[in-house]
Amino acid sequence: MSTSHLRRVAPVAVLALVLLALAACGGDYPNSTFSHNTTLNDGAVFLWDRMMLLGTIVFVVVEVLLVYTMIKFRRREGGPAPRQTHGNAALEITWTAIPALILVFLAVPTVKTIFENQRKAPAESLQVEVIGHQWWWEFRYPEYGIVTANELYLPIGKTVDFSLQTRDVLHSFWVPQLGGKRDLIANRVNHIWFTPKATMQPTALNGACVEYCGSSHANMRFRTFAVTPAEFDKWVAHQKTVALGSPAASVTTADSAVKEKPIVPLKTASLISLPTSAPTAAPEAWSFPAERMPAYTLPSTPLPATKFDETLLAAGDPKAGRELLTNPANLGKAPCLTCHVIRGETNYANDDQAKGPNLTHIGTRHTFAAGLYRLDAKALALWIKNAPAMKPGSVMPTFGAGEYNAMIKQAVPAAAGLDDRQIADIVAYLRSLK
Amino acid sequence: MATSSAISTTASAAPQPSVQSGLWSWLTTVDHKRIGLLYLYTALFYLLVGGLEALLIRTQLARPNLSVVSAEMYNQLFTMHGTTMVFLVVMPLSAAFFNYLIPLQIGARDVAFPRLNAFSYWVYALGGLFITLPIFFGLAPNGGWFGYAPLSGPTYGGGYNMDFWVLGLQILGISSLAAAFNFITTIINMRAPGMTLMRMPMFTWMSFVVQFLIVLAFPVITAALFFLQFDRFFGTNFYQVQAGGDPLLWQHLFWVFGHPEVYILVLPAFGLVSEVLPTHSRKPLFGYNVMAFSGMMIGFLGFGVWAHHMFAVGMGPVADSIFAVTTMLIGIPTGVKIFNWIATMYGGSLRFPTSMKFAIGLIAMFTIGGISGVMHSSPPSDLQQTDTYFIVAHFHYVLYGGAIMGIFAGIYHYFPKITGRLMNERLGSWHFWLNFIGLNLTFFPMHFSGMLGMPRRIYTYDAGQGWDLFNMISTVGTYLLLVAGLIFAYNFFSSRKRGAVAGNDPWGGATLEWSIPSPPPEYNFAQIPEVTSRYPMWDLKAPDRTASLEHVHPSADDIAAAHAVPVHEETERRSAKELGIAIPFSTIRPFMVALGIIIMFSGLIVLHVGEFPLAMAAMLGGSAFMVGSLYAWLTSPLE
Repeated sequence: MSTSHLRRVAPVAVLALVLLALAACGGDYPNSTFSHNTTLNDGAVFLWDRMMLLGTIVFVVVEVLLVYTMIKFRRREGGPAPRQTHGNAALEITWTAIPALILVFLAVPTVKTIFENQRKAPAESLQVEVIGHQWWWEFRYPEYGIVTANELYLPIGKTVDFSLQTRDVLHSFWVPQLGGKRDLIANRVNHIWFTPKATMQPTALNGACVEYCGSSHANMRFRTFAVTPAEFDKWVAHQKTVALGSPAASVTTADSAVKEKPIVPLKTASLISLPTSAPTAAPEAWSFPAERMPAYTLPSTPLPATKFDETLLAAGDPKAGRELLTNPANLGKAPCLTCHVIRGETNYANDDQAKGPNLTHIGTRHTFAAGLYRLDAKALALWIKNAPAMKPGSVMPTFGAGEYNAMIKQAVPAAAGLDDRQIADIVAYLRSLK
Repeated sequence: MATSSAISTTASAAPQPSVQSGLWSWLTTVDHKRIGLLYLYTALFYLLVGGLEALLIRTQLARPNLSVVSAEMYNQLFTMHGTTMVFLVVMPLSAAFFNYLIPLQIGARDVAFPRLNAFSYWVYALGGLFITLPIFFGLAPNGGWFGYAPLSGPTYGGGYNMDFWVLGLQILGISSLAAAFNFITTIINMRAPGMTLMRMPMFTWMSFVVQFLIVLAFPVITAALFFLQFDRFFGTNFYQVQAGGDPLLWQHLFWVFGHPEVYILVLPAFGLVSEVLPTHSRKPLFGYNVMAFSGMMIGFLGFGVWAHHMFAVGMGPVADSIFAVTTMLIGIPTGVKIFNWIATMYGGSLRFPTSMKFAIGLIAMFTIGGISGVMHSSPPSDLQQTDTYFIVAHFHYVLYGGAIMGIFAGIYHYFPKITGRLMNERLGSWHFWLNFIGLNLTFFPMHFSGMLGMPRRIYTYDAGQGWDLFNMISTVGTYLLLVAGLIFAYNFFSSRKRGAVAGNDPWGGATLEWSIPSPPPEYNFAQIPEVTSRYPMWDLKAPDRTASLEHVHPSADDIAAAHAVPVHEETERRSAKELGIAIPFSTIRPFMVALGIIIMFSGLIVLHVGEFPLAMAAMLGGSAFMVGSLYAWLTSPLE
């Protein structure tokens, strides 16, 4: 009875698995780990291929033997009594030795690759500090004094040496297309380095946190832009400055960065190398062109039901928005700069103290809230109005007047909150920070 | 042979109702069989709970950007799914078989410490409630079943959620440790005359190995949990990163426990399958010695591979290489087991009742989990796999395809011994095939979604990432598993009353448990049997099968020592009193001690709520109740 069952079901099951495997190999998989963009990936894919080959052989041998045995030796009425064997030393030694031998073919390249991958990074590598926060990514380029968030720029063909730290719980840094992951561990600085191959086409890739880190672990994503060295230089030149379109820039000119005095001295060395002389000409704003972003890097997270008068967005006044953010009189209503840094403005925290992302060039970014939403006016407005509704557990408070604030377990009073017009002004200001 | 008469082979006409019934008898029982049944029913209930948690998880992940449950609820669900399945389902299901079978297989009348055995169960049952009930108040643990610090600590894991987890696991650890010492003592001391270690049934062998794993692994998690508990309740800084604590300390301690735990979960299933396969192949187990030693080898090597859970931590190339190689090595004894099982079937006369289907299913499915396990052993490649759905696929092939399939094989195989009736084979067949298809539909696509970049433990994912199809298939598979589970539940409960009468030995088993009536009398063996080989029942019924085995006869002194009871030819359903067999008194005290422990631990939760006097009252009152009950327990006569 059961063997007939098996005969009927087994081919269907095998067919289904084969179809599934074909689907997995054929489709468009933007986060595939089987790319060859770095030598880390080459090593991983080489070992994978070998294990897949050896594993498939073992799998086929075991399953074929099993099915053959089930069919060949099924009980037949009046069949002879089975010969009673209690074991066979030669056979058992054989099937102990063969797997051991197979494993040698895996162990040797494994150990070799481990030591290759974990050499010290070349001295001339680009240094990038990755800092994990619940639940967003901070990226610093200490050589250039750049601090940015959730969007990582890497020059193709240049080795990047990442040093990984966390400000709170453990996280793990992963761009599947560029290599394996590395954990961010409290009280430690961890390292990983790789080189996006020179043959790689400029593109945008997805990255994610892969160590469970609390409520919004799923929402801790980021974008990686692998760009040409020339594009990278343009991006760096611009990111080093204060925002071009901001009133801050027009009022105080680009050298305001020089005058900036952080309220508390910086603790880490990473931020000290701010520009020491005023740039001769303000560099042109450059970020990865939106039209070149592949669809899979454009988030489609649904927006919450938070109400917002969208007609106000077009009329948002950046100057008024800036006034709200920077005038100490408004600190109660719009305490943005107590948690965020906008270089060139009077900040109440430096980058080491800031609880939220550095917003200096937020207008050049494509996504926000750790890659969860596209950076458009409406999403940003809803975010300012009620961030926890868009990202569970977000430490960014609810600012919209009348919105329910889960932290204080009541609605934000009208007098203490921002109305839609004020939010629209702030959005206009932030978007002007190119 | 003089020993033949000791083994009763008369089939009972019909199973008779248990003499004892009623709630009180269950609360006070110290009979290893009834405690085994308590374990079985409780664990099957938690299997339903853990299954429903999985169902919610998969429903939430069926499509991108769904919001069936909130992020917070999802995190509680996946934490509790893991915790439930490991500590409240698979370990207790194994414990059900340890309890029920070990004394029967070694020819003993009970375990070494019957009241300690009852205590183990009640600690488990009450501890299970302690950790499960909070989910109805949104207070269930939410830091993952692995509880990584500092997310599980007071700073980032505030609230009561992880309090319940830390304390719940401590409570459950007490149960596991008490049981482990009990079974080790039982197996070492209470084997029937003639049953040398190398004649023990393979299930008893694997259970024996598992008890040592528990004894060696649980103290490590207990220490780790004490540190966390002290951090959470008393302001210490073992893992508090702000004070310089080390989160990696937790990871190492957790996985030194956590990896042997995998073998604690799966070796009992291997043991059950090693009973089922020979029986239905009509052949002895192929390579008994190698099977026993490979089990020990797996247990031994299992303590040297823990850091393969931590390759992404960055331990350096030397540590990575060492743990890579030890992890590969553990594949060898596991592979040997697979080949020996197939060799057991090869040349046999195979019959395919449901238990055999599940046993063969284990070989087929565990092989997949084993192969993907070897894949994780190579760190450069594992760094692309770890913390993705590929891992989820891997360990579900090990734990569902391995442990759960083996346990189902055991349930179908031993149901007639336990109840005296057979389970319905037709429904069993449906259960098996739906389970088999559902398992593969659910977990196979996870290999793909993982290697295509989908992280684990995410409550939602964006569209267009290439994961939609695989997730949808996984979800459909989960619903199929639910249907399979319901069929099993119906079969299980309806067969208890309406199944065909089984008799003593429906399958032609080789070991002692098949020599006694089904269900067994409370004293198990009217006369302690003498064991002449690994297959005492076959010695009796099919001597040709065991003729080639070495038979060592016990000395006359051994026999005399073992035979305190005169031989009764017709022992069917005679009471213990009639036979002059001393039976341990039933007692409520183990339950009371367990209750005291729960009250004591609950005091810590109350302390966290801020009710200091009430907390002190609960802790001191609970301790006093525990110590008092323990005193009463120790001063009351056993039998």
